[in-house]
Amino acid sequence: MRASRRGLLGAAGLGAAAGVAGAAGLAQAQVAPSRLESGQADSEPFYGRHQAGITTPMQDSLFFASFDLTATHRQDVTGLLRAWTNAAARLTAGLPAAPMTPDASDPPADSGEAVGLNPSRLTLTFGFGPELFSLNGEDRYGLAARRPAALVDLPRFAGDELVAGQCGGALCIQACANDPQVAFHAVRQLARMGYGVASLKWVQSGFSTANKTQGTPRNLMGFKDGTMNPTAAAAPAVVWAGAEGPEWMNGGSYMVARRIRIALEHWDRMKLAFQEQTIGRHKASGAPLGGKAEFDTPDFAATDSDGNSIIPDTSHVRLAAPANNGGATILRRGYSYNDGANFVAERWPPWRQGIEYDCGLFFQSFQKDPREGFIKLFDRMSKIDALNQFTTHTGSAIFAYPPGVQPGQYIGQALFEAV
Amino acid sequence: MNIKPNRSFHPPRPPSGQTSPAPNPGTPKSFFGYFFFKKSNILFPCLAASLLAAPPALADQSFLTSVKKHHLLTSTQPANGDQNPYALVVAPVTAGTVQKDDVLVDNFNNNGNLQGTGSTIIDYRPATGQTTVFAAIPRDLPGCPGGVGLTTAMTMLSSGWVIVGSAPSTDGTTKTLGAGCLIVLDANGKVAGTIAGPQIDDPWGNMAVIDHGATAILFVSNAGFGIGAPGQPVQHKATVLRLNLAIAAGKPPAVTSQTVIGDGFGAQADAGVFLIGPTGLALGGNGALYVSDAIGNQVVAIPDAATRAGSAGQGKEISKGGLLSRPLAMGFAPNGHLLVVNGLNGQVVEIDPASGQQLGAMWIDADEAQTPPGSGDLFGITMQPDGKGFYYVEDDVNALVQAQ
Repeated sequence: MRASRRGLLGAAGLGAAAGVAGAAGLAQAQVAPSRLESGQADSEPFYGRHQAGITTPMQDSLFFASFDLTATHRQDVTGLLRAWTNAAARLTAGLPAAPMTPDASDPPADSGEAVGLNPSRLTLTFGFGPELFSLNGEDRYGLAARRPAALVDLPRFAGDELVAGQCGGALCIQACANDPQVAFHAVRQLARMGYGVASLKWVQSGFSTANKTQGTPRNLMGFKDGTMNPTAAAAPAVVWAGAEGPEWMNGGSYMVARRIRIALEHWDRMKLAFQEQTIGRHKASGAPLGGKAEFDTPDFAATDSDGNSIIPDTSHVRLAAPANNGGATILRRGYSYNDGANFVAERWPPWRQGIEYDCGLFFQSFQKDPREGFIKLFDRMSKIDALNQFTTHTGSAIFAYPPGVQPGQYIGQALFEAV
Repeated sequence: MNIKPNRSFHPPRPPSGQTSPAPNPGTPKSFFGYFFFKKSNILFPCLAASLLAAPPALADQSFLTSVKKHHLLTSTQPANGDQNPYALVVAPVTAGTVQKDDVLVDNFNNNGNLQGTGSTIIDYRPATGQTTVFAAIPRDLPGCPGGVGLTTAMTMLSSGWVIVGSAPSTDGTTKTLGAGCLIVLDANGKVAGTIAGPQIDDPWGNMAVIDHGATAILFVSNAGFGIGAPGQPVQHKATVLRLNLAIAAGKPPAVTSQTVIGDGFGAQADAGVFLIGPTGLALGGNGALYVSDAIGNQVVAIPDAATRAGSAGQGKEISKGGLLSRPLAMGFAPNGHLLVVNGLNGQVVEIDPASGQQLGAMWIDADEAQTPPGSGDLFGITMQPDGKGFYYVEDDVNALVQAQ
């Protein structure tokens, strides 16, 4: 099916039903994003056991938005979620956010910039942050007791230089699409439905080559990023929460996001061999040092004749490997970002200062429990990863992504209706 | 950063800020008057520039030629996020929470990476590979003017007391520098007292100690006198102070006398590295105290350090320039040679104190994320108890590393 967005006027009669039914008929993607091969359809299913946008093969563009909740009544929150769910089903099917009416006395129900664009594999994925459950100790919506233990407050990590305006939130929307305008359009429509209930806290756009290139996509450091992602067969066990937590999260996932600024000007001065020692992989092939091919198992015990590690002790791949972290595994689904340039003082001799790119990685990881996933992995990495000399974490967030919905349900319904 | 100084991509750089391209290090060859060893990455003074190997006699006498392996032992960051490891002390005894041969490491920066604000000492136990926090010292300590920012001045006595210096700041620069103190900790890491006074001003460099149990003699450099805020010229007011201690049973060490045995050393406030001043102290078997003079880029000797009645001024030059590049902490190798780490590159330099000859230098931190590689990463160094190698700290990744 190749859906296309309808004209704004006169589209009222075309329903969510047609688009949604078609979309739901597509096979649910269940592969780890790094192993995507080309040849997707234009739309991703919205309804299903799990939300799309997690194990869905990565799209070209990300627009992520975190929201504060200003509502004082629980019904306002559930009303918004119901509206978001309905609109998301339409938007992901290539339809305007709401049926359009030609009434010139009202603002248009859809802002219109996606007219003529196809669904572009848009996924809209929703998450609940700690601030939904309580804010400054206040249980605004009677949900505090239902906060999952796995939705922890992230600890402070070594080297964190977090900017308050780039952290946390009560609700989030993760829009991914092969067209950046489609992704932004979707968030824009949903955000305007929240006027008076939810207000934007921070946003982040991003881009990836995963959809265009064969194999593992490369980040802005030029290295393949995500080689150690679980395979399609292994991903469900890594990603999806099960019966170990609250029932309303069964089939959902926990997402940890980190906005990681990368000192590209510093990195670009480094010799290739040093870059490879820092990462622990060869740049061109992605093979671990000492190996030949990208998916060779890194030999962390290998040493040279003097007994020194072939894959350096502080290399990124050594510190990130599940094999060196008690099996801790996460699904990475990060997008590079480019937010212009601003003044920076580098942290190392010769301490260059000046206008540098505000670029890097909007890291997103999915796991069934961050305490056994990201937090476990990143604690040691934050301290001794050689890569830290080039990276600075400026934003951080954790969200519980509830399971998917079926037609007639709304996102998070089981949370709000749980006894 | 425990990336091994590798012949293929960690070429030696000239020791004094020259920027010419390095040679292909695939084979040993002469380079700015030094030899670069393929296997061990050791730079040797070149006696004859045309030679393709180091002078065998020098290589035979060198301790560094026996050092091959660099192994990261632990992160030095405790849970409170303190960073920038400075002092290294190998515990001489088992006492309190400390076991003999544990390695104590203090931190100069807090979790915001502000210098002069670190307040923790970690304990790495080689026997188990475990790292714990030995001491978390209150940042506001009565008797320690300006607060707490733990320096390279640290020792553990055979009586179990730990003494550590403070050169405190509140904003990470010497604009807010306090005079600091020496902090006395019991073997459980609890503060038992402080030592301060007009002769103590930012006790800075690694201590030399003569420990007789009931008495002890400490040597400590004081680098804070008059240095002011960054941007000020070098001040020649830094001292080396001898402190004679009496340690009564069950009582913290008490100062019985203080004597300035060296003075007039250069010290300077610095926006990048906080301050530069005399840092390395090592006591020779001949009774001389060797001092690394970072500003003067030299190692000097103060004779009769334990007994002299007055100051030897800036002492006698032993070795200057050459491979030295802002010498910092210093200690003795088992062969009687001095090992001193450089502040402006990632090298440790081996010096025969008898002749002043520099036998060579090794890249123990060749992290190219800094220019020159390893610049600003090294500080503390101390020998392993078995003499087979040494411990050092790496600021770039906040880690304790073993070389042997």
